[in-house]
Amino acid sequence: MGKSTETHTSPRRKLPSFPPEKPQKEDSTAGPVNLESPGDQSDQKTKLVNLWIISLFIKVLLFVGYHSTDFDVHRNWLAITNKLPILQWYTENTSQWTLDYPPFFAYFEWALSQFVPSVVAQDGCLDIVEKGMYGFPTVVFQRTTVILSEVVLFLALQKYIDSFKGQIGRSRALVVALSLVLSPGLLIIDHIHFQYNGMMYGLLVLVIAYARQEQFLWCGFWFSVLLCFKHIYLYLAPAVFIFLLRAYTLNLQYDTKKSFFHNAIRFVRWTNLLKLGSVVISVFAVAFGPFVYHNKIPNLLERLFPFSRGLTHAYWAPNAWAVYLFMDRILIQVYKRIPLSRLPLHKIFHFNIAALENEDLLNSATRGIVGDIEFFILPTITPGLSFLLTLFYQIMALIPLFIQPTYERFVGALTLCGYASFLFGWHVHEKAILIVIFPATFLVLKDIRLLNCFSLLASCGYVSLFPLIYTCEEWLIKILYTLLWYIIYYFSFRKVASVTSESYSRNAGGIFLVERMSSLYVLGLIPMTIIVSLIELLKTKFVVLEKLEFMKLMIVSVYCGVGIIGSWNRFNWLYFLDESIWQRTK
Amino acid sequence: MAKSAAKKKQGSQPSPSIKGAASPPLNPYNSTPLYNLLCGFRRAQDQWVARYVTILSAVVLWSAVGLGLYSGMGQKPINGDFEAQRHWMEITTHLPINQWYFYDLQYWGLDYPPLTAFHLWLFGVVGNFIDPRWFALDVSRGIENPQIKTFMRMSSIISQLVFFVPAVMGLLHQLGTQKKNLTRMNHIIVIALILYLPALVLIDHGHFQYNSVMLGLFLLSVGDLIKGNLMLASVWFMSSILFKQMALYYSPFIFVYILARLFTPKKTLGATILSFSFGRLVVVGLTVIVTTIIMVFPFLLAASNGSEAVSLIKQILIRMFPFERGLFEDKVANFWCSTNLVVKYSQKFTHEQLKLMSLVCTIGAFTPPCVMIFWKSIRRQSHNPDYVIYGFSATAWAFYLFLFQVHEKTVLVPLVPTLFLLLTTDRSTIAHVQWINNVSIFSLFPLLKKDGLSLQYYSMFLMINWLMGGFTLSTKSNMLWPSGSNLLSKLVIVSSYLVIPIYHLVEHNILPPSRFPDLWVIANTTFSFACFSWFYLWLMYKIYNL
Repeated sequence: MGKSTETHTSPRRKLPSFPPEKPQKEDSTAGPVNLESPGDQSDQKTKLVNLWIISLFIKVLLFVGYHSTDFDVHRNWLAITNKLPILQWYTENTSQWTLDYPPFFAYFEWALSQFVPSVVAQDGCLDIVEKGMYGFPTVVFQRTTVILSEVVLFLALQKYIDSFKGQIGRSRALVVALSLVLSPGLLIIDHIHFQYNGMMYGLLVLVIAYARQEQFLWCGFWFSVLLCFKHIYLYLAPAVFIFLLRAYTLNLQYDTKKSFFHNAIRFVRWTNLLKLGSVVISVFAVAFGPFVYHNKIPNLLERLFPFSRGLTHAYWAPNAWAVYLFMDRILIQVYKRIPLSRLPLHKIFHFNIAALENEDLLNSATRGIVGDIEFFILPTITPGLSFLLTLFYQIMALIPLFIQPTYERFVGALTLCGYASFLFGWHVHEKAILIVIFPATFLVLKDIRLLNCFSLLASCGYVSLFPLIYTCEEWLIKILYTLLWYIIYYFSFRKVASVTSESYSRNAGGIFLVERMSSLYVLGLIPMTIIVSLIELLKTKFVVLEKLEFMKLMIVSVYCGVGIIGSWNRFNWLYFLDESIWQRTK
Repeated sequence: MAKSAAKKKQGSQPSPSIKGAASPPLNPYNSTPLYNLLCGFRRAQDQWVARYVTILSAVVLWSAVGLGLYSGMGQKPINGDFEAQRHWMEITTHLPINQWYFYDLQYWGLDYPPLTAFHLWLFGVVGNFIDPRWFALDVSRGIENPQIKTFMRMSSIISQLVFFVPAVMGLLHQLGTQKKNLTRMNHIIVIALILYLPALVLIDHGHFQYNSVMLGLFLLSVGDLIKGNLMLASVWFMSSILFKQMALYYSPFIFVYILARLFTPKKTLGATILSFSFGRLVVVGLTVIVTTIIMVFPFLLAASNGSEAVSLIKQILIRMFPFERGLFEDKVANFWCSTNLVVKYSQKFTHEQLKLMSLVCTIGAFTPPCVMIFWKSIRRQSHNPDYVIYGFSATAWAFYLFLFQVHEKTVLVPLVPTLFLLLTTDRSTIAHVQWINNVSIFSLFPLLKKDGLSLQYYSMFLMINWLMGGFTLSTKSNMLWPSGSNLLSKLVIVSSYLVIPIYHLVEHNILPPSRFPDLWVIANTTFSFACFSWFYLWLMYKIYNL
């Protein structure tokens, strides 16, 4: 009797244990689309852990496959941190693969090196040598550490899912989580190429999850930890900084009843500032303290920020500079083949004609060998210009975040900061595309219009990773796995993304055309991949194709670069001009 | 108050009962991780995605297994099955057709039927176009590089996609539509289980062979047999035999079943017998002959005169059926190899006697299932597709257990039709079939270890069992647990599941005594033989009760 009274009179307290009750509430607020029929809601959903386990088997099978020099890099770091005292970590240079990640990563490598079994140590895993001599046991050990460290990502995503209450929200969070756990980017970069991105992005997911729950201290804590693991995330730091500043430490409400002086003091929430500041500073103190103590900070900074590198990596990342370089290469051909164009070209760009007449230099450039001169006709890009452009676009993204510090704006600003740094940064690796894709994933389900630009971003971004794995044996895996991911998630995202009345009305106009165009562009990746693969396949057959060796890399980066810039434009459009997406919905 | 509580309970869970009415309430697969992975696509309009996802993921899996070593990699001068297939591409593309079966027989002479030769010729032509160095005559022997490896891996993947995958999907669709208590998701789950089939994946894409083509052709034949297209069924079946002679394991049953289908079941036995359709028999017979002639026609065409044609055909047959080899070659989990521990056959009997003994035993083993199903088929009005699956499985197991010159890889022949029994809601059957699937993988372990495929073996083994819920302790969702079987079956299955991990622990950590270097291999084959025999008896029992 008592029991039934309780269930009858206070259903609210029982809510967590009765999932079917809550969605009815959610349904009414979720907009016109409720694709899941009520019968399905009581049914089971794919569990994150199951997907993780099934991907585990594929990852284990990849043990025997190709791995890049990054493998030896990390092996060398294991050796350095294991064999040397901490003060030599950032000065050791027997191998060219010196330690150039921040201290937490070094500590992490040190911790891993404590678990190296004797079989693996005998295999040469912990030798400080110029070039690693290791066998299968080392591969198994290091690959296993990547798989195990990816648990961070899995737990972070599980936390993210658990922070949702309603059925609809949960199923959306689940789709986001599943797509990240199975991300082909992680498979290609971590499990074939070899890096520890799974763990890094796990920490980033934690930052986002805590931001969603408005637990700002944790958000700041995890972001500082992340920065001390890998400094590439400095690119995202402006967004996190502005978000925490505005949402946690500033108080912009002007109380007209109190004096100006009172308001000026109240402008900063001092206790919050103190709490956040001490959290961040203590994380950095733990990381950099030992090096400050040993006075090794200059060495450390020199390693972390090597400014001597060129604008582009040997293989062009698909960003604005790839397109810019491509324009330059086109203009060279125009200049060489069309005599009439020479004068106007020279008038416009004021380039050095002598360099263009030097055939060796020109050939090395068109073959993609990184030389002193990167640009022949178009003006040279300086690190300062690249930095200014990045900063400009980041600041543009931060202004709306400062005005409206919602979670949605925050993730949007993170994505745009990632975009700016990827598109305009100096010496960007193609692997850095994950820094855009990961935050963007969290936004997709907010509105169906974001899905379209996300699908362009993700497909171009992941396809641009293909040249990273150039071995023929992995060819089929990387392509099919990406295709599989795309099919599953484009389909699932479409199903659960919310369609607002806004997106319907907009669809009627020119946007419809834009979306069709971007879908076509994504489809165009298929013939592009086929052409590039055919060039690769038949290069021994036809000598002409061997000359095109660099051409195929250029095709990939320019095609993907244009796609990513296109998705960036669309994203900017929605970010700056569409208020409805970015408002807080609880 | 109590009334309101009851009402609430009723109201809070209306959907399961509605769903229960629409689909079977006790679908055992619904609690497995495999179903859980696919459940996002369970609605009818999404199921096509599930199919493509299953196939794509299977291909990813095959190519991931293909990253591993292949048989005889780096083992000069003779290498292994991989080199044999590559060598055949080499000779078929460079030599005139009448020399294919004669050229340098000491170095991997062609010993598969003509269709294999044509199949390899086709891939050889493509490969020669891409890089002629891969298949340069004689020069390319033992060639090893990532490119040729990738090419060969791709050839086996494409073969499986073209022949095996459509056949599996077609057959499952056919079997499924006749079982009303199954949902489409069930079909997709069984498709996944068969496409991920560890034994086949490890042999075709790890060790390297093209079994999937032979099995695919055979499954196409089964599909037509169930439909009653006896002619088409015999065309597919002859193609299967002419691709790989191993398909002969199925032949007694297909003969018996076609014969049974020529009768029209009537009320009395006499009327049934009188209904026998001689016309259709002749047509089927002619189909078989014509198919064979078409397949060997290129050889006849190449022969300059009649006697050369005869000698060519004779050579093909000699190469296909090497009767002169021993009772068994390597250690294999069949009757002869296992009982050889007690009775030393090669010392007690002559080669001829052994051949006769093996033949008699095999006939003795495959006759009971054939006769039972023949009898049941002509006595019943409706054709139960289960007869075909049970019949082929039992016959093929009989061959595997008692024929001589059986290879461990041959376990695929009985295993593949057996797996189609997974399309059921009967927990006991599922558990038995998955059990024999596991034992089959286990029986391949010595071979795979020799090939350096231990990692692939363990991952595939764990994966398929995990997909079936094999690592949960709840007997409700663990498909390996034979609920509903009798105590003896449970005992056999559980104890063998205990033996397998123990075996691996012992085998991995302890070297065999120097007096018996093959001790672990023999332990493996003997154990597998015991399990296979038990399964054969279980099949008999099931057929009897059909």
